[in-house]
Amino acid sequence: MCSACGFPAAPGHWTDAGAQTPGDRLRLRFARLEAINRLLAAYGLKAWDDGVTPGLQLFAPGGQRELVPDLASLWEAAERMAGQPVDPLSDRALAGG
Amino acid sequence: MPVAEATRSDGRLPVIILGGFLGAGKSTWLRHQLHEGRFAGYHLLVNEAAETPVDNLLLSGARKISVLAGGCACCAGLPDLLATLRALCDAASGKEAGRIAGILLETSGLADPGRIAAAMAEDPVLSRRLVLDQTLVLVDSLHGVQQLTAEDLARAQIEAADELILTKPAAADPVTLARLALSLSVLNPGAMLSAAEQGVAVPLPEPVPGLAPLDLPALGRSEPILPYRLDVGRDGGWVALSTWLSALLHARGDDIVRIKGVVRTPAGRLLLQSVRRVVQSPEILPDDDEALAGPAPEEGVIVLIGRGMDAERLALSWRRFGT
Repeated sequence: MCSACGFPAAPGHWTDAGAQTPGDRLRLRFARLEAINRLLAAYGLKAWDDGVTPGLQLFAPGGQRELVPDLASLWEAAERMAGQPVDPLSDRALAGG
Repeated sequence: MPVAEATRSDGRLPVIILGGFLGAGKSTWLRHQLHEGRFAGYHLLVNEAAETPVDNLLLSGARKISVLAGGCACCAGLPDLLATLRALCDAASGKEAGRIAGILLETSGLADPGRIAAAMAEDPVLSRRLVLDQTLVLVDSLHGVQQLTAEDLARAQIEAADELILTKPAAADPVTLARLALSLSVLNPGAMLSAAEQGVAVPLPEPVPGLAPLDLPALGRSEPILPYRLDVGRDGGWVALSTWLSALLHARGDDIVRIKGVVRTPAGRLLLQSVRRVVQSPEILPDDDEALAGPAPEEGVIVLIGRGMDAERLALSWRRFGT
C-alpha cells in the first residue's frame, strides 16, 4: 500500500484483527473457541485451544485429530472430517435449534 | 492520459465513469489517483448497490464527494443518479461556476457502465450539459478469468470500456495474467489496456507466444446477484462475527461475491471487506467521524452481496451462532 495515503492495516489472519493487546488477543482466542464449537456441533466435531499452543486443534468422534494454524484452515479440515463444508446457512447447521 | 482538466469550449462537463466488477479495486485505485492529484477539481459521485455505503470512507482525499447508496446506478438507482447529475449541472452553472472540472462516477460493482452512458445520452437535460469523457473499467487479475467465464455482467463491463486497467497484477500468475490480457483485447479490441498495483501504474504482462485467449462459454441467465443486509448489532460481537463469516465464506465463497461492513471491536472500528474468499486485512477506522469522507458509516451492519441466499435465513443463522 502507498504509505502516504493508506490507513494502517491490521496484520495476520483477518479474523485476528480487532485485538491489539496481549490480553485482548487471549480473550479473543477463547471467545472464538466457543463460537467455533457452536458451529461445529451439528457436524459432530469439536475444536480445542489451550491458549498456549499456537493454532487450534480439531477433533472428530473417530479419534481423528488435526492441528490447524488459523480459521481458514480449520474450516478446510472440518470439511475433510465431516465430508461436507460447515455451512452456517445449511439445514444441518440450523436444525435442532 | 486524455483527462480533460481544462474546461471545454462547448461548456459541457466531462464525465468519467469508473467501473469494474465487485471488488476489482475501484476505490483503492481511485484513492491513489486522488493522492497523486489526478482528477483535481472533479466532483466524485460514489454509487453503491447496498444501502450502507463504505466506499466513501476510503476516499477521504476527495474534495467534493457525494454518495448514492441503496441501488445500483444502472438499474434501481438510475433515477437517483440522473437527479444528482442534474443537480450538479445546476451547481456547475450557478454558485459553483468554474469550480467543477468534471464529474467522476465510481459505479457499484454491479453496474453496467454502458447502461449508465445510454441513460445519460437519453436524458434531455444531461445530454446537453454533460459529455461522457471516458469509461475506465478495472479488471481484477486474480478473479478476472473466473468472472469473465461465469458472469454476463463482467463481460458487459469490459465491452463498455474505453480503457481497461488490470488491478492486483502482482498477485496473479504471469501466464494467467497474460491470457486474461489477451482475452480482454479480444473482447474489447478498441480499449486501451494497462495495469496498476494499488493504483500505481505497472507494466503489462509480457505476451506469451502461442497463447490462446480464454474460451468463453455462452452465458445463460443465472440467478441474479443481490445485496443482503445483516444487522449484527453495535456492541462487540466481532469474535462471533468473524468466526461465522469465515465459515460462511469457506462454504459459500463462490456465491458470496462481496462482504462489506463496519464493525466495532476492542481495537476500534474495523472496515471489513471481502472479494469471494479473499478477505482483506480489516482497516482500523479513526473514531472521529470528521476525519472520514462523506457520511459516517453505519456501525454494526454487514452487507453481503451474492446469490442463493435469503435474508431471513441469514438473520436466523446469525441469531443462532452469533449471539
